[in-house]
Amino acid sequence: MPEFKIQHITRYTYEGLVRDSANQIILYPITDVAQEVLKHDLTITGNPVVDTHIDYYGNQVGSFTYLEKHSRLVINSEVLVVTHPKELPADDIAADEQWQMLASVQFIVPYIDFLKPEYFESLPELITTIESERLQGETPYQTALRFAGYIYKNIKYLPGVTTVESTLDEVWKLKAGVCQDFAHLFIQILRLLKIPARYVSGYICPNHNGMRGEGATHAWAEVFIPNYGWIGIDPTNNCVANETHVRLAVGRNFSDCSPVKGVYKGNSGHMLEVKVSVEYKGLPSSEPENLIPTNQFIQTIESEPFTTNSYRRYQEIMLMQQQQQQQ
Amino acid sequence: MLSRVAASFFWLSRYIERSDGILRMLKINYASSQDAVREFTWEPVIRIYSGVDDELTSKLHNDSRAVLSYMVSGRNNPNSITNMITLARENARSVQEHITRDLWQCLNEYYHCVKDPSINQRLMEDDPISVLDVLIKQIMLYYGTAEISMERGQGRSFMNIGKYLERSIQAVDILDVKFGSVNANPDLLTDTTYWKHLLQSLGGYELYLKTYRDGIEAQNVMELVILNDDFPRSVIYSANNIHRYYDRLKNESHLSNHRNIAFQIGKLQSFIQYSSAQSIRQVGLHQFLTQIRQDLFAIGTSMNEHYFANY
Amino acid sequence: MYKSAHFNDYNAIKGVWDEMYSENSTIRDHYQKVISYLSNESTDNLNKKEELARRLFMTQGITFTVYNSGEGIEKIFPFDIIPRIITAPEWKLVERGIKQRLTALNLFLKDVYHNQFIIKDGIVPIDVIYSCPHFLREMYKLDVPYDIYVHIAGIDLIRDEKGTFYVLEDNLRTPSGVSYMLENREITKRLFPDLLPQCNVRSVTEYPTILYKNLMALSPRRISNPTVVLLSPGIYNSAYFEHTTLARLMGVELVEGRDLVVNNHKVYMKTTTGLQQVDVIYRRVDDDFLDPLVFNPKSVLGVAGLMSAYRKGNVAIVNAIGNGVADDKAIYSYVPEMIKYYLNEEPILKNVPTYQLRNDDEREYTFANINTMVVKKTNESGGYGMLMGHAASEQEIDDYKKEILKEPRNFIAQPTISLSAAPCYLQGALQPRRIDLRPYALCGPDGIEIVPGGLTRVALKEGSLVVNSSQGGGSKDTWVLM
Repeated sequence: MPEFKIQHITRYTYEGLVRDSANQIILYPITDVAQEVLKHDLTITGNPVVDTHIDYYGNQVGSFTYLEKHSRLVINSEVLVVTHPKELPADDIAADEQWQMLASVQFIVPYIDFLKPEYFESLPELITTIESERLQGETPYQTALRFAGYIYKNIKYLPGVTTVESTLDEVWKLKAGVCQDFAHLFIQILRLLKIPARYVSGYICPNHNGMRGEGATHAWAEVFIPNYGWIGIDPTNNCVANETHVRLAVGRNFSDCSPVKGVYKGNSGHMLEVKVSVEYKGLPSSEPENLIPTNQFIQTIESEPFTTNSYRRYQEIMLMQQQQQQQ
Repeated sequence: MLSRVAASFFWLSRYIERSDGILRMLKINYASSQDAVREFTWEPVIRIYSGVDDELTSKLHNDSRAVLSYMVSGRNNPNSITNMITLARENARSVQEHITRDLWQCLNEYYHCVKDPSINQRLMEDDPISVLDVLIKQIMLYYGTAEISMERGQGRSFMNIGKYLERSIQAVDILDVKFGSVNANPDLLTDTTYWKHLLQSLGGYELYLKTYRDGIEAQNVMELVILNDDFPRSVIYSANNIHRYYDRLKNESHLSNHRNIAFQIGKLQSFIQYSSAQSIRQVGLHQFLTQIRQDLFAIGTSMNEHYFANY
Repeated sequence: MYKSAHFNDYNAIKGVWDEMYSENSTIRDHYQKVISYLSNESTDNLNKKEELARRLFMTQGITFTVYNSGEGIEKIFPFDIIPRIITAPEWKLVERGIKQRLTALNLFLKDVYHNQFIIKDGIVPIDVIYSCPHFLREMYKLDVPYDIYVHIAGIDLIRDEKGTFYVLEDNLRTPSGVSYMLENREITKRLFPDLLPQCNVRSVTEYPTILYKNLMALSPRRISNPTVVLLSPGIYNSAYFEHTTLARLMGVELVEGRDLVVNNHKVYMKTTTGLQQVDVIYRRVDDDFLDPLVFNPKSVLGVAGLMSAYRKGNVAIVNAIGNGVADDKAIYSYVPEMIKYYLNEEPILKNVPTYQLRNDDEREYTFANINTMVVKKTNESGGYGMLMGHAASEQEIDDYKKEILKEPRNFIAQPTISLSAAPCYLQGALQPRRIDLRPYALCGPDGIEIVPGGLTRVALKEGSLVVNSSQGGGSKDTWVLM
């Protein structure tokens, strides 16, 4: 029964004053048989009222606004979580039968949402790869582990080469990326194999075992195994995601789960820093690392100080959007 | 009232007022370019409305037709009449349900008129004055329509503040450029045609003749354009009107904001009011005008901050 | 024969229902009065009326702007001066049919975003719904006031060669064109003085009043004067004229996204005196652009946080978000089934037979008979992305087929329906041109009301079957008789 105290700080620093900020956070660990939240403290600049709701995928989502002019916004989430290891799939049903069971759920909610592969340019190449790597006669569980291993071996873990907006094409061509890209590619492969797979965002708490993904939010996938249910598989570390992985949210893709996102008005320049640190019960805390500057989770509506005319500054961008077709 | 709507009223007016100023300026300057007695240059006109731009000046070759075409229908000239009327109309369009149908139609017609390719063609090949007259008349029609049809509410106050702010800025700029040229060419100081044209382009020639009986003198021109209460294009007249229409916004404003801007306006008003031709000469005209320009801009910025920038 | 030459050479198109001429080439009763009125006018006079109409549209700014490399070109939606006339019994059928259809579509939306009975019972295949880009998971389990999703609908109707009405398309998101229904009538009053009362034409002027009443009724705050706003994409939108017209006729504020802000899950508009709470938003901005925080993050037309205010019930949005799943063209073919399923009634208005190209057999059939088919993209409107099989070249058909095979779910096919024709005044003579009809239905807490009239669109090009303004279409005043 590992117990973790996780501190997750998100800090936006703006070049000038910004206002009218609206934000959405998915920072509430999932509570179920494998995960308990003992305590959760959330502090946000300006102390806004955070309203929460449960989204379509069952995640708890918070939203808040901050209208006053400000030059920084800090979201500090401190959570005390206990995890319970989950037994691994027995995987003792014949492979054929399991594949059939998967085929029979493909038009059923929720699986239908986690089966649609996305189109990208190198799709044919990926399909060929899958065909040649795949071993006939293996169960869905074995197949999933095989491809987690394939990704682990063939994709380089290289922070900084990709961003949250990187496409599968870029990742496939670079053969490198971070946990998000690993999870993204993994999910795509599983879906092409007709195995339901969903994106998971959360934290990894490896207790100094040198696993990848520490210090920031982590991402992996959950795979649906017949007669078992969803099992977490982490292609970045080539392992089953069990009691050292703390889940925040699940969804079809990154954007269903992005931990923090926001929109504001003001000068466009901003810096975003994220830090995640984990303390283990009875063990010294991991060295607090410096905030890692990332380039994530934010969109800006550019608006310059009012100089000439209200119309000019928005003209270009608005012209495009305003011409949207009316029915 | 929506902040954006207030901003649109304000800018709609500024565009119209600026168009009017340019058109009158062009008309008089074109006329004077026909007096071939002395070397005529379009440079000050270009400078007033496009800033110091040597490249542009040399491109236009001091060719009257080219300048007119650039100033009226120049596509790349943000201050061309076509572009400004387009912007005025776009502002009007975005507040269409706040202005009268008559006023909207008037602007809409103006837009179609100025967009008509024949305007430029006639400027290039025909008598430019008659083209400019058509365009000037449209603006008079607009002002008349606004005057008789617009409700006496907030919207009109924002319109008038925009109008008089723009008008005073133009008067200041014109004086500054015209008197500035004298530094380089002292002969101009005694050149009565030079001052006559300045007065004509501001529509103040007749009033000048009635006010000053002993011929045209630069000092008197300056006095008229800055300090004459009865001259509708004088700086003081505009400042008084900014004050007047701003006062009407009192009940629709945050009290402290209103007090701040009212103070700014009042200060400017007294600064001009308690100046005389002599005191201006002492500070130096350029410095005096610079101060006024700064104050006017500051008022614009404050309006923006407290009334418009809210969106 | 008539006095004026412009009526002599009217040749009804063979095999097409003509609204004016009956089968034996006599003028139908309901067109008699108009035709006799018009025949007393000289060609010269009619030309003048046509010119007057054009000028009225232009000076009133009833125009839309087409932008080309930064240069705006002002266009008017062509108007044909001859009204399209609908008899009382015809209208009764249309009215009942639309009410029935809309009731079912509303129930469908409520169902699909809550219990999904219709999916569980296998009436509408789940994958058609789940693959629809307008099926918004954000709307799942979100309750909307009075369970009304479609407050304003524009249902496109056509008539086949026997005069039978068919529904061609449901527009349940941001249907446009109603201002043309209103303006066309105003112009007709000017063109043909006294003719409307003589012909017992029903009035359409109630439209804004009913809409306003419905909007007010949706206010979450129970106060006497809730703030209702019309949210427009802005002045560059082709329907901007309509937005201002409706805002003016209802006396509500016309706002853009940047005028609004969400604070603590309530929506406010920014005024010169500060923030003012907004209760009801009649939006003419697409779902995807409404809230950059939840939908398209690049949108500058929306309001960040709007969805959270909507979810909390602090603001009503009209039409509801997520309606696109009900007017998707792939869903369309299931509407008759929905009517039976939810209402236990037979559909009053027919659907045009529709082939789902995601089904292999239907796709093969379509490909084999493509010359008699119209193929459409399921999520486009306005006449974009269509293939008219009878008029397309081999190359166009081949290219289109390739396009279909990439994502067959996004395409449907329908047999080419021979739209009915109505007389138009063109080049000094009456000529038959193909038309459709879009009545506007308003759904409020007290039920569905349909203003007697609508927008008749006309394919002005000879031989054309496409009435959309983007494809050379125009419009006519639409008369519903007492």
